[in-house]
Amino acid sequence: MKINLNVNGVTFPVDIEPDRSLSGVLRNEIGLTGTKEGCDDCECGACMVLLDGHPVNSCSYLAVQTDGRQVTTVEGLADADGLAPLQQAMLDAGGVQCGFCTPGMLMSATALLSENPEPTVEEIRIGLSGNLCRCTGYAKIIEAVGSDAPST
Amino acid sequence: MQFVIAETLEHALELMASGSRPIAGGTDLVVGARQGKEPLPDALVAIDRLGVLASIDGGTGEDGEIVIGACVSHATIAGHGDIIDLVPGLADGSSLVGSPATRHVGTIGGNIMNASPAMDTGAPLLAAGAAVEVASTRGSRLLAVADLWLGPGQTSVDSDELCVAVHIPRPGPRTSSAYVRLEYRRTMEIAVVGAGAQVSLSDDGSVASASVALTAVAPVIIAVQGLSEVVGLQPGEAARTVARLASEQSRPISDLRASDRYRRHTVGVMASRAVLAACRRAAGEEIAVPVNRSEGIGAGYPGDAVANTTADGVEL
Amino acid sequence: MQQGSGTTKFVRADGPDKVTGSGRYAADMVLPGMLFAAFRYAEVSHARIVELDVEAARSMPGVLAVLTDDDVPDVRYGAGVADRTLFARGVVRFEGEVVAAVAATTPEAARSAADAIVFEYEELPAIVDVEQAIEPVSPLVHAGWEDYEASTERGHNVASYSSITLGDTDTALAAAHTVVTSRYVADASHAVPIEPRAVLAQWEGDKVTIWSSTQVPFDAQAGVCETLEMPANRVRVVVPHLGGGFGGKCGFHFEAHVAALARAARRPVKLVFTRREEFTAPDRRREGMVIELTSGLDADGRIVARTGEVLIDCGAYIADGAFFPQVASMHIAGPYSIPNVSIEASLVYTNHQPSGSVRAPTAPQGCWAVESHTDELAETVGLDPVEFRRLNAVREGATGPSGQVYGPIGLLDCIDAAVASASYGTDLAADEAVGVAVGWWPTFAVPSGAYVKINGDGSGQIITGAQECGTGSVMTLCQLAAEEVGLNPEDFQLVYQDTAAGPWDMGATGSQTLVNNGRAVVAASQQIADALKKLAADQLEASPDDIELLEGQARVVGTPAASIAIGELAAIAAGGELLLGHGSGPPPVAPEISATCVGDQGMAAWVAPQFSCHAIRVKVDRDTGVVRVLSVAAAHDSGTIINPMGAQGQVHGGVLMGIGQALSEGTVYDDRGNQMNPGLLEYKLQTIADAPPISIDFVGVAAPDGGPRGSKGIAEAPNVATAAAIANGIAKVVGARLTQLPMKPERVWEASSGAAEAGGR
Repeated sequence: MKINLNVNGVTFPVDIEPDRSLSGVLRNEIGLTGTKEGCDDCECGACMVLLDGHPVNSCSYLAVQTDGRQVTTVEGLADADGLAPLQQAMLDAGGVQCGFCTPGMLMSATALLSENPEPTVEEIRIGLSGNLCRCTGYAKIIEAVGSDAPST
Repeated sequence: MQFVIAETLEHALELMASGSRPIAGGTDLVVGARQGKEPLPDALVAIDRLGVLASIDGGTGEDGEIVIGACVSHATIAGHGDIIDLVPGLADGSSLVGSPATRHVGTIGGNIMNASPAMDTGAPLLAAGAAVEVASTRGSRLLAVADLWLGPGQTSVDSDELCVAVHIPRPGPRTSSAYVRLEYRRTMEIAVVGAGAQVSLSDDGSVASASVALTAVAPVIIAVQGLSEVVGLQPGEAARTVARLASEQSRPISDLRASDRYRRHTVGVMASRAVLAACRRAAGEEIAVPVNRSEGIGAGYPGDAVANTTADGVEL
Repeated sequence: MQQGSGTTKFVRADGPDKVTGSGRYAADMVLPGMLFAAFRYAEVSHARIVELDVEAARSMPGVLAVLTDDDVPDVRYGAGVADRTLFARGVVRFEGEVVAAVAATTPEAARSAADAIVFEYEELPAIVDVEQAIEPVSPLVHAGWEDYEASTERGHNVASYSSITLGDTDTALAAAHTVVTSRYVADASHAVPIEPRAVLAQWEGDKVTIWSSTQVPFDAQAGVCETLEMPANRVRVVVPHLGGGFGGKCGFHFEAHVAALARAARRPVKLVFTRREEFTAPDRRREGMVIELTSGLDADGRIVARTGEVLIDCGAYIADGAFFPQVASMHIAGPYSIPNVSIEASLVYTNHQPSGSVRAPTAPQGCWAVESHTDELAETVGLDPVEFRRLNAVREGATGPSGQVYGPIGLLDCIDAAVASASYGTDLAADEAVGVAVGWWPTFAVPSGAYVKINGDGSGQIITGAQECGTGSVMTLCQLAAEEVGLNPEDFQLVYQDTAAGPWDMGATGSQTLVNNGRAVVAASQQIADALKKLAADQLEASPDDIELLEGQARVVGTPAASIAIGELAAIAAGGELLLGHGSGPPPVAPEISATCVGDQGMAAWVAPQFSCHAIRVKVDRDTGVVRVLSVAAAHDSGTIINPMGAQGQVHGGVLMGIGQALSEGTVYDDRGNQMNPGLLEYKLQTIADAPPISIDFVGVAAPDGGPRGSKGIAEAPNVATAAAIANGIAKVVGARLTQLPMKPERVWEASSGAAEAGGR
């Protein structure tokens, strides 16, 4: 099935089987491996991408359903000028350890902050609750997302 | 596999008439296939772009009925002013579903038609006396949710019928609802057990009428019977009675998540809490959605006392 | 290049890779002509293989290789006991045992072929209960165990036995004022790194390169060399970015299977695990334990004697568990001065998935048991639990339960700090309480090596055998090197986790990287510092002894005007004798002990022991048994802290893992030994919404026998006392002891309602 997959502002015409997951197509056909796969049941959130600005578990979303929509992956966060403030905040706070959950965590946080630029700690906790991290105990991730709120 | 994005509702119904299965967020369908529970169907019709299925009518019609399109997401329901005002129990349920991502792509239609006995929107809908509107090329019909679920994954709807909307009768004055579930973690849970209650209060604060439905204690969501017993009781006494009835009437299984004995006990606790929260809301008290995180078992930490400090104890 | 700007902020050299998605993990790697691997697993816990026929699978489209035990060298391997083969031989002993492996052109083709292998078996009784397994009448997991090569003390279904004996417990218990006996059972659990493992192998001529998500590349290399009978210099193991480990990716696992497939198929082959495979197939699971212990107290509440018996569920193969009995015994003894000790522990074979080192193996369970017991002891003699611990805890000059006499240590400081941070003793709501527990863990002193070079432009490069699993410990090496040679951490980049490039290192295991590889990097950097000082002395006409290296400059001490940029010295060196350093440095020597140890594995004499005290406030919903952790005060003596941000990250992560182990993480088996919850839906990690605020105190007692500047390990210690402290908090609220881990809501409710019925609340 031929679709136009728009990822990070670039349109990729791809011809794929309709049962392919979005994460699989991103990683293999499009060549963007920043999106990770960590579980079989939508529990870990490592595969999180944005679809028209909202978070979606790309491992369990059919790639063909994104035809004509805007997909944003972790590779789309930084621009030519450098890291996005949220990326920098994650590094500054120490919110990155092994880094495997980081792309998904960044995408959920990006979605949260675009809807709610000054989230409370509780709102951060709920907003990122679909992303498991085994390294950090989440403390420095909460700090990073809180500190990225524009008011501070 | 064949995959078609429906252009109109009629288009979707035609494809379903020829054997396609509907997909919206795909949260149950695709995850189920990944887990090897059931392979994806041979033909899918995507209905998530049909605007006609994506709106909420908060009771503007003559009968004041609340109508929620089948493709309305849990996130939308959980944050919708009319739903929070009129049927907060449903907002409680939707706001507990999965993760933010699941709530954004997961739809109410998908949730109820998946017919899991652990679904979080089922008990509030049953307690509210809701009906589903299903359509096919043969026409459309309304079906009470009480008559919808036959067993885990089984409904009384034909395979060519598409759920297009949920209809909820407008609750009367001094009436409100709540949904409480037992969850081991504060988020990302599937109900171990749960209970939805809708209560109307008399002027003296006693219960005028109540309906209560239970999650994950039977093959389907079940309604608690014999609630005339609580009419006239003050909320506390009513909640205790409902707890007893809920425990007595539940038919839980033992599995990995809990034993039947524990489920039987805790569903009573959940039912009692749901009744109390519904009573307080009916009396005009504002309890934030979801009840679990503001009042229930999911509360009692960072939400209140320590919410304004970072994990290092530093004031934000 | 700006050098020496004076910043000391910790900057992860791998940070930009990880936040932009450009960093590659093993599953991200692609090679031309690459095939995909799939395994056929036993899917039965104990069975005799009747038929294994791969012919149909071999002839399927796209299949280039199918391997079984017949296709690899006849090698039996295993540390302590050689009980393992790459592929099942005659008998399968756990559900995740690899029976056959396939390489095919697509993952789907490989899976189909693996499924098409004919595997018929006759089921044998599954041995799943450690207490029954050690009975002489129990069937054996390994029928021919007596013929295995082994260096452990063994017995009937016992892979490794050890005991620690000090003084005379019989006499002391008979004379004790009070004697208390307890029994605790811990369920198995899992490491659950978020990255499921992946392995990619490519042969060029007679050499193989293996990219693997392993915490221990040199172990993986050694395993491949042993099982495929190859010399070390033809097996190169490279670890791309590693997505966490927590012990789950320690040990030699599937590198040889994939290398053998790639050799047979004459193509690169990649294996990527699903989450289910990550749960069931590796020799890595946190061991279930059955713990019985008895303590005798004198009239003042001093512990005068302790006996204990520990059974540890080994699973089907020993993996790296040979030392588990001894380290478990130390935890059952606890960080207390007890003059009479007699503890026996056995690692018991069962038909469960093998156990292996997961973040402080045996310690959180052992600590949970002993610290629950400690609160029982305190209650028996009417002492506050904290006072009881202060009375009995080891301190400088004290003799511990293995007869080791301690130098400067900070356990008492930890207790003071944690109870102060937790406001211990203040009034709380009836459903809340603060539980307190102390823990300990050794520092592993082992060999390690590193090279350091300064390039002609003044930039630095560290080439190390050390492995970064996310903790940041390898990243911290830049800080150590920079300080030795007067540069900034950012001036260094790293070549790491490549067995062909770096000297031997034990890997990201045992919290050892900074202690041992740090020592190596400091030694290597000192050689460069000496060379720089000589170069500077020539340029500045001074003695090398008078040169200091600071802020990117070589300066004459006391004459700041006489200075030269290190970059200039590097340029001079580039035209002459290059700036190269190499280092290892002798590991600290193990301390003397006076206990008698049968089956000694070197785990009763602890170099630079780490101590901790956790005080944790819990809230218990007594109607449902749901426990929420409200806040954690964690105090640690991990010696001098070199990288505070990294160390805090270890405490945060270790504590949260401990909360999971306490409340929600437990592997459930059916009665035939199969895991019932090998997935993240039913095996519940703590989410961000569950994560409580954690306050951290590092008490900072420099260790004379530690790593650089008196540092100790830190990665495992925060996991040790967490479940124990939570248990003590729960017991206070519900008025009863939870005797099984994890303390799931239903178990708490059972204990709570039992206590309520007994009027004990």
